Amino acid sequence: MPLVLLECDKVIPEREKHVYLKVEGEDTRDYLPVANAPTIPGSLSERGCSFCGAKLVIGGVLKDTIQMIHGPIGCAYNTWHTKRYPSDGDNFQLKYVMSSDMKEGHVVFGGDKRLYEAMNDAFNEFPHIKRMIVYTTCPTALIGDDIKSTVKRVTQERADVDIFTVECPGFAGVSQSKGHHVLNIGWVNDKVGQVEPEITSEYTINVIGDYNIQGDTFMLQQYWDKLGIQVIAHFTGNAKYDDCRAMHRAKLNVVNCARSAGYIANELMKRYGIPRLDVDTWGFNYMAEAIRKICTFFGIEERGEALIAEEYAKWEGKLNWYKERLAGKKMAVWTGGPRLWHWTKAVEDDLGINVVAMSSKFGHQEDFEKIIARGRAGTFYIDDANELEFYEVLARTKPDVIFTGPRVGDLVKKLHIPYINGHGYHNGPYMGFEGFVNLARDFYNATRNPLLGLAAKDIRAPRRSAVLEAAE
Amino acid sequence: MGCEISTRKRTGLINPIFDCQPAGAQFAGIGIKDSIPLVHGGQGCVMFVRLLLAQHYKENFDLASTSLHEDSAVFGGRKRLEEGVMTLARRYPNLRVIPVITTCSTEVIGDDIEGSINLCNKALKEEFPDRKIYLVPVHTPSFKSSQVGGYATCLQSVIKSMCNAKVAPSGKLNVFPGWVNPGDLDLLKHYVSAIGIDATYFFDTSDFDSPIMPDKSIHTHGRTTVEDIQRASGAFGSLSLSRYESFSASTYLQSEFEVPAHNINTPYGIANTDAMLETLSDISGRPIPDSLVVERGKAIDALQDLAHMWLADKTVALYGHPDLVIGLAEFCIEVEMKPKLLLLGDDNGKYKRDPRLKALQEKVDWDMEVVCNADLWELEKRVKDPAYKLDLILGHSKGRYVSIEHGIPMVRVGFPSFDRAGLYRHPTMGYQGAVHLAENIVNTFFTHMEIKKDREWMMNVW
Repeated sequence: MPLVLLECDKVIPEREKHVYLKVEGEDTRDYLPVANAPTIPGSLSERGCSFCGAKLVIGGVLKDTIQMIHGPIGCAYNTWHTKRYPSDGDNFQLKYVMSSDMKEGHVVFGGDKRLYEAMNDAFNEFPHIKRMIVYTTCPTALIGDDIKSTVKRVTQERADVDIFTVECPGFAGVSQSKGHHVLNIGWVNDKVGQVEPEITSEYTINVIGDYNIQGDTFMLQQYWDKLGIQVIAHFTGNAKYDDCRAMHRAKLNVVNCARSAGYIANELMKRYGIPRLDVDTWGFNYMAEAIRKICTFFGIEERGEALIAEEYAKWEGKLNWYKERLAGKKMAVWTGGPRLWHWTKAVEDDLGINVVAMSSKFGHQEDFEKIIARGRAGTFYIDDANELEFYEVLARTKPDVIFTGPRVGDLVKKLHIPYINGHGYHNGPYMGFEGFVNLARDFYNATRNPLLGLAAKDIRAPRRSAVLEAAE
Repeated sequence: MGCEISTRKRTGLINPIFDCQPAGAQFAGIGIKDSIPLVHGGQGCVMFVRLLLAQHYKENFDLASTSLHEDSAVFGGRKRLEEGVMTLARRYPNLRVIPVITTCSTEVIGDDIEGSINLCNKALKEEFPDRKIYLVPVHTPSFKSSQVGGYATCLQSVIKSMCNAKVAPSGKLNVFPGWVNPGDLDLLKHYVSAIGIDATYFFDTSDFDSPIMPDKSIHTHGRTTVEDIQRASGAFGSLSLSRYESFSASTYLQSEFEVPAHNINTPYGIANTDAMLETLSDISGRPIPDSLVVERGKAIDALQDLAHMWLADKTVALYGHPDLVIGLAEFCIEVEMKPKLLLLGDDNGKYKRDPRLKALQEKVDWDMEVVCNADLWELEKRVKDPAYKLDLILGHSKGRYVSIEHGIPMVRVGFPSFDRAGLYRHPTMGYQGAVHLAENIVNTFFTHMEIKKDREWMMNVW
């Protein structure tokens, strides 16, 4: 029986269903951890809300779009300056966030007029920006503001603007994941098919589920350029709003993050017959495999092989230098969801690293099926792990490095364990061939850091002093 | 010439200065020892605040959520609140305080927090007869006030619910520093003990700068204990340093338990620090020791090296917590700088009547604006105009792009400061804080001059 009731969970025994310890010979069809289920209140889970899944993860990446958050200031404040997704423009998406700054009176009497004014203010203050996403939040959803009609009114009054509405308050669903879904489906319903792209290549793709963390998108774009493949829309790394309205014209959907954006790929397949190709873009083997699959689809295999050979020649030596030094190191991954299955085998195959524990904040069971299939025996696979579980699993698995967020990083540093930012990266990008060398370098630097060795030393420990020795 | 106090007219807010009330309440709630605040609302209301605190302090703090989902939005969230309390109690055997912090969603739904707390108290007594866990209701709907008011509300709620009897005189002083850095708190402790006063701090956040220890023990938590809070009514007085974050708590102790409240100006700059030390001396009957006169003298000496050579006439924009902004405006004038724009980031109607602002209005003989309910766009819009000359921005990291985009030197101060290393460790208050800030400002000017090759040769001989 691969499900484990941890010591700290004895008083919340339902957590046993979420903690899976892979055992050789077990069939994951019999035992998968429960996922995408409500969090136990007070358990100190890592989860965020669905509003942030929509705004912070996906919508807020668009480089030419006003982010208008209809609610109190906190929702805007907290989803601004909390991600590392640059763009090739002026980084408008990093610099600004807008809020209707809702107050008590608007809760009592309705906030529609407030939103209307705020939207107009935003367009007036940023006359060069003509696109906007309006998000609802917990209180505006609860009081029932009619956001769509306000959006319609502003759209009618301003001929040159286009506005998308995301109605996904923070309490919807059990995690960020619900927000990904609402935004994806809403985008296909409301926006795809409205813009006709200029086609410059017979090979056209959408790249779905990459958000240009520290320039991942730029890294991948080099490859598409060399292959002569035109990206119609990058959903949503470094993307323009209107690029993503033209997604229906691509011949292939290349899906990286199947959790946050697989929904839109499925809808594009249903509605426009665009095939979906799932790839991994982290890791050498995986990136090469992704390029091969895409090139095979278009019948340009030789271009793909040339690119792979070129990249291997450039980067493989560096990767192997790290591999020699990292083989056998233990790693834990505590991130959102998909990175677990993207990374576990990639670090094992390319770097000889063993992933010993993984936790997903918002993965679903289908994600765990993939994670566990790719992962090792003896490894913990945890859904929605909480803080006490972390301590216990750390004590049992003793990883050398943990890939997680900065806050958990601050926690594990007290335990003398280095962390690497598994969300925003330390010194990325981490995608592609060069990116994986970056990851290997950061991993290597984390493990050879002398400070944490010094941290373990207790200078009060009994010792023979030089004076004593001289006297003897 | 003169100082105008206005309010933001634009409805749409662009780049907020503050987070919402529950954020401030959470920060206050972690200042208590053996406390895990439980935020009754969506999970994002906790997850992001934990991240924000981690960004500023580079530390992890324990905060819990009731993880409100749709069913609670329809049927109320009482069950989840009660489950949250019991789960915390069961899994954290040393837990003694749970501030129950509401959010916009649970206030709109109208959950009966006090009723739930009564139920929880019964359940806790039954399951843990030998433990006492204090459940403190903290009402902080996000659509009122801001992180500033949230801090004040949580502080006052904790005092109100846990300090409910007059205790025997403790001979101690209550000190309410407001929302400050560990560096400030350590300096305040130094001053108070130099005068020979025994004090309790509400809340003691010195360990928010916490060590990595050889035994891997974790010390990142508040130090103010349940007993400290209960004995606040026996103090010989309260020194309260933040009009908008702590005066309400000290005033409550005065009206309820006759603990004299000494609500004074936040000690930014020399004169305000003098006033604080004089107050400490007056209320304790103990003299200010020579050592503090020396510390003060060193500070004035250091500032004198900088003031009319480098700082004089420099125009400054300030934003952030109101006591910080107003206090630093006073400090700026002490070192001959000219505060030009003060941004106060929420709709608190009391700002306009603040006696310190009134005093500034009488003092300044240059153009100065105070904008209430402001956002950072109020600053950016002004500096976009090339005719608007601004030499320095003093504010927290959320305004960093105004400086970056417009090439205006900026010194980070206040919460959150995550784009400069280690600021939480240094004081801004007191004599040492004044020097640290002034030197930081001048060094920032120097670097700016060197990068811009703007009279960088000035420093060849300084």
